[in-house]
Amino acid sequence: MNSIEIRELTKAYGAHRAVDGLTFDVLPGRVTGFLGPNGAGKSTTMRLLLGLDRPTSGTATLGGRSYLDLPDPLHRVGALLDAQSAHGGRTARDHLRFLAAAGSIPVRRVDEVLEQAGIASVAKRRIKSFSLGMRQRLGIAAALLGDPGVLLLDEPTNGLDPEGIIWIRELMRRLAAEGRTVLVSSHLMSETSALADHLIVLGNGRLLADTSMADFIDARSTRRVRLRTSDPGRLRSALARDGFELAAAEEGRWTVEGIQAEQLGKLAAREGIPVLELADERASLEQAYLDLTADHAQFTATR
Amino acid sequence: MRSALPTVPTLHSEWIKIRSLRGTLGGLIAVLVATAGIQALTAAAIGRSEDGSMGDDPLFAAYYGISFGQIAAMVFGAGAVAGEFHNGALRTSLAAVPNRTRFYLSKIATVGVLALLTGQVTGLVTFVAGQAFMGRYALDLGDPGTYRAVVGSGLYLALMALLAAGLTAVLRSGTVVLSLLIPFVLLVSFVVGEAAGGAAQYLPDRAGQLVLHARTQGDLGPWTGLGVMALWAAAAVLGGWLAVRRRDA
Ligand SMILES: Nc1ncnc2c1ncn2[C@@H]1O[C@H](COP(=O)(O)OP(=O)(O)O)[C@@H](O)[C@H]1O
Ligand SMILES: [Mg+2]
Repeated sequence: MNSIEIRELTKAYGAHRAVDGLTFDVLPGRVTGFLGPNGAGKSTTMRLLLGLDRPTSGTATLGGRSYLDLPDPLHRVGALLDAQSAHGGRTARDHLRFLAAAGSIPVRRVDEVLEQAGIASVAKRRIKSFSLGMRQRLGIAAALLGDPGVLLLDEPTNGLDPEGIIWIRELMRRLAAEGRTVLVSSHLMSETSALADHLIVLGNGRLLADTSMADFIDARSTRRVRLRTSDPGRLRSALARDGFELAAAEEGRWTVEGIQAEQLGKLAAREGIPVLELADERASLEQAYLDLTADHAQFTATR
Repeated sequence: MRSALPTVPTLHSEWIKIRSLRGTLGGLIAVLVATAGIQALTAAAIGRSEDGSMGDDPLFAAYYGISFGQIAAMVFGAGAVAGEFHNGALRTSLAAVPNRTRFYLSKIATVGVLALLTGQVTGLVTFVAGQAFMGRYALDLGDPGTYRAVVGSGLYLALMALLAAGLTAVLRSGTVVLSLLIPFVLLVSFVVGEAAGGAAQYLPDRAGQLVLHARTQGDLGPWTGLGVMALWAAAAVLGGWLAVRRRDA
């Protein structure tokens, strides 16, 4: 009942497909990381799921039903879309009060979530005086208001201080452990790998990966070795004959992609090339993610 | 269809939205303060100097202040809807009330009812307060057309608020709507209305204000005039509904 089903979902803005034939499920009881570079279509997917934007084709449902058909949406789904999704002229408490009223949620619950999000002391201040981090906390308070079984959080750590990031990480883990469905978007692998059990990766509106975190690590992070040698020239040509490439790393070390220490050690011994240090290494998760999305990144930073 | 009608929770939610924004609540209060206050001040200043000093039509003169109060009504109506287009506020609202027709009808109903209640109080207070300063030229409640003007002025103010509310939903900006409507009622309608007799009487404010006149010339009577204004407001509200239903939030 709390699962999310995305089927052949497409959203075109003019000629540009922000979301392009997406199909995946998000299941309860685990944190699903929704990853992709800026412009990949994460926010658009979430808006389509909430019925805020109309899909060009395909469907996005919750337990088989469109969000628009839910009789008690705030009790089913809590969403943090964008820290700016609130009128700056209202106080935090009034913002939550009108939401609570719309969902027939008792006012007592407003004070509870203000407390839980750590913004009870600023509840009577106008939202326009809030820092980005405080707005995020308000958005999370709003998402928790109806005690929903599904949580959609779009880049919730934006603007949060380190303490806030730890808080939200633990909150999401706890919500998932309670059996809720938690979908949290991010454009940073480093952040997601610390909390997600499952990964959905988007690039240019398309699905690039739908896998458990563990499988992603196994499949995606390639092997490589790091070594020190007194004769890089001969090692380079020996490796090149077998199709490997010697690359310079920091502190006079070298790395070779796609080979293991055992294999390289034997090769060096056969050729009589001195190897002073040799160790297996895994390319970082961040690198694996960057490799995966590199072809699809719409806004690649120019260095 | 029934599933798209406002519910007690959605109306309550809209009422909290309105009263929690300074601009909209202020606009509502300003309807009363501006209409009755300016009426009383003007009457006190020049009302007793000679018969007809505030205009040829003593009934319309009793509502001189409505020219100012109607602007407050527009500010209220536009502000109540424009609040949704501030940042991504509409997304939060629609996540809570996903049925767009219900969301929009709840807002329009809340704006309409509040403007009507305030308008009716304003209509009565303006008449009483204004006439209190008119000395021997004062009209009494019960004189021909006075009840009509008291009730009609409240309806006029409510329709102005709804016109502005509907237009704001179409144009998605209170600032744009007010910068069109305010010059329109202050200048365009006034100038055009003086110059041309025929079509100008069908302009929303011109037609609506006929209900405040003791005598009407032209094709429209006092109530048909208000009816014409109601059609304008209904068209704006309908346009707003289509826009809210169709567009991505
Ligand atoms: N309302 C819109 N109109 C036009 N283009 C849009 C709109 N919303 C998003 N886009 C485009 O769709 C793509 C996906 O955007 P978005 O879903 O915000 O990506 P993400 O959240 O992954 O960064 C981007 O290229 C963006 O410019
Ligand atoms: Mg985004």
